[in-house]
Amino acid sequence: MPRRGFGLAGTLCNVPLVRSSILRPVSGCFDFAHLTPRCTALACALMCVTVARAHPEIENGLAELNPRIEATPNDAAQYLDRGELYARHADWIQAEANYLRAAELSPRLPGLDRARGALALRIGNPREAGGHFARALALDPRDAETFILRNRARVALGDRAGALADLQHALRLIESPRPELFLERAALIAAARDAVRSLDDGIARIGPVHTLQLRAFQLEESAGLIDAALARLSVIAAQSERKEIWLKRRGDVLMHAGRIAEARAAYGAALAAINSLPAWLRESPDSATLATELARLSGRAS
Amino acid sequence: MKLPQLFVTFALVAGSAVHAATTIVRGPYLQTATPTSMVVRWRTDNTEASVVSYGLERNELTSSAKAEGIGTEHIVQLTGLKPNTKYYYAVGAAPVPPPNPAKKAAEDAPGRAAINSFTTPPPVGPAKPTRVWVLGDPGTKNATQMAVRDVYYKFTGSRATDLWLLLGDNAYPDGTDADYQKAIFEMYPQTLRISPVWSTLGNHDGKSANSITESGVYYDIFTLPKRAEAGGVMSGTEAYYSFDYANIHFVCLDSHDSDRSAGGAMMQWMKADLAATQRDWIIAFFHHPTFTKGTHDSDKDSDSQGRMNDMRAIFLPVLEQAGVDLILTGHSHVYERSWLINGHYGKSDTFNASQHVKQKTNGRSDGEGAYKKPRRRAPHAGEISVVTGSAGHAGSATKPPPLNHPVFYLSLNEAGSSVIDVDGLKLDFVFLNEKGEKRDWFSIVKE
Repeated sequence: MPRRGFGLAGTLCNVPLVRSSILRPVSGCFDFAHLTPRCTALACALMCVTVARAHPEIENGLAELNPRIEATPNDAAQYLDRGELYARHADWIQAEANYLRAAELSPRLPGLDRARGALALRIGNPREAGGHFARALALDPRDAETFILRNRARVALGDRAGALADLQHALRLIESPRPELFLERAALIAAARDAVRSLDDGIARIGPVHTLQLRAFQLEESAGLIDAALARLSVIAAQSERKEIWLKRRGDVLMHAGRIAEARAAYGAALAAINSLPAWLRESPDSATLATELARLSGRAS
Repeated sequence: MKLPQLFVTFALVAGSAVHAATTIVRGPYLQTATPTSMVVRWRTDNTEASVVSYGLERNELTSSAKAEGIGTEHIVQLTGLKPNTKYYYAVGAAPVPPPNPAKKAAEDAPGRAAINSFTTPPPVGPAKPTRVWVLGDPGTKNATQMAVRDVYYKFTGSRATDLWLLLGDNAYPDGTDADYQKAIFEMYPQTLRISPVWSTLGNHDGKSANSITESGVYYDIFTLPKRAEAGGVMSGTEAYYSFDYANIHFVCLDSHDSDRSAGGAMMQWMKADLAATQRDWIIAFFHHPTFTKGTHDSDKDSDSQGRMNDMRAIFLPVLEQAGVDLILTGHSHVYERSWLINGHYGKSDTFNASQHVKQKTNGRSDGEGAYKKPRRRAPHAGEISVVTGSAGHAGSATKPPPLNHPVFYLSLNEAGSSVIDVDGLKLDFVFLNEKGEKRDWFSIVKE
């Protein structure tokens, strides 16, 4: 079972980088005698912070973890757990303080460097994150999650080749990767044809997932690979119960490519698809709007 | 016999004895139900083969399916089934001969070779009366969870539960395998054996799961349709997916650990999925509520790291554009039910009833009348948003949550679960508290 720290996808993709409003004093969490000067300074700084409002989940987690730490104050894993609890709630300072304590007690604790790297990346320090990830991978070279994180640190540092290598490595290690990882890899590849090939590799591994097909179609269309794009649209349409949207898209691609007769046929097929819908769907505002648009486009194409 | 040989012999005998005593310690439970297939899962305490014997009669389990290899986690997919058909089944290491009719096993008797049954979903599209049980944040393992469960069992009686939804935080505190064992598998063994369960990821489940590598307890336990096996558009992930049941399209989103941005993969998939469906009803479910003033506050950006804000500001407009009918969430350990609403994507102080409420009635057929929506798929025709996150516990009684979000018709700080009955173009919804009281109900009728 993987040890969890951050919700990585959420943490790294779209959650605003905000300092937590739920800072808590360190007092009661640490034996200060054990702290390094850096950690002590951090802890002392935290002593000045007033408790704004603790999240019940943190309180519950601390209620469980603090007695365990008191009972076994030299157990590094407990500090890692507590650091991860704080990290999950975006309390970066408390998270770092706990990670530092864990590192003092057990520098090679599994999962610690990954957690520290994730934290550094989260607070905008990809260079420091890279160091942590390198150490984590030295300890466990099959840790796919760390490769994914280091790829993102390398992207932040402008090292696309290194990032791509890390992502490739992670994809080899994960049995059934999520589509997001293939999309992330394609975004690192400059040449459209190569990016499409990387997406097709993903499709071969996890199936004709809509998001991968759609991205491949967009790349093919933008690269002027019209027939490939049309073939891709056919696959997308085949997977959809309602094909009219994709048939219209086909018409648009053909129209843009100057293949007017084919475009007209595609628009006609889209109209026919709408007409074959049950009345309650055919008469929906979206369908009616699309039918009007298709009629207009068919007229232009004739 | 020399001592080492004696030891080896003893070990072999002991091992055989242990193997012979192999028992089912989890399940069986049903996953990814389609009109023609069913995934049956169970766990044994010792390694063995995975075989499901099944048939149309209790005493004629004439078909069998097996998985490759041996193990303690057993996952067998039955294929080629008939839609809307009751099947009897038994799990074990080998095909099980039908039991002696004179010793007819009770349907919910535990242990190996017990004969259970399930009914396959009906063909997709045509309506069929459907009962759905909805449990948000159930996994406390305590007396409240049991009471909520028992109230539903009494309520439904002999009426079958066609499917049930878990809205996340299924097993406290950390969503570990041991937590799941107590909070789900030992809590609902009877329902697990006969009704397929569909789940979404909660923050507590996320503590023992890793969405980016799709690994950990949650992903190990559930077999969810990443390849559109049960309808909808292929998502490629178990974190978010969709499925059809009769004339209902269910959309499961991951509000916890997937990219929630407007340009993210989950959004791209959801748009295509919603645009493709031809079902009469669209029901979306995810963990973090779009609105709540319960044990969480959707007005506070820091609460749940903005997840509630993301689901409201980014996903809700797209769901409404697609004509969603019902949104089910948990996370906040209360019951909150909206009016028929549309177009409110801001904080509670921006809510304007005259602008955002489509029908300001209680939606009760025996009261001010059911909510009415056009059958034709109309964007922004209004939906009911329900926070039903109290299947394991409610908010504090001594420091009760404010429960004052204006989007809600009714807010209750009570433990309970929800029941949905869909019959053709009518949807009935009930909230049952842990005392067995019907505390809320409403209907939506499509015309």
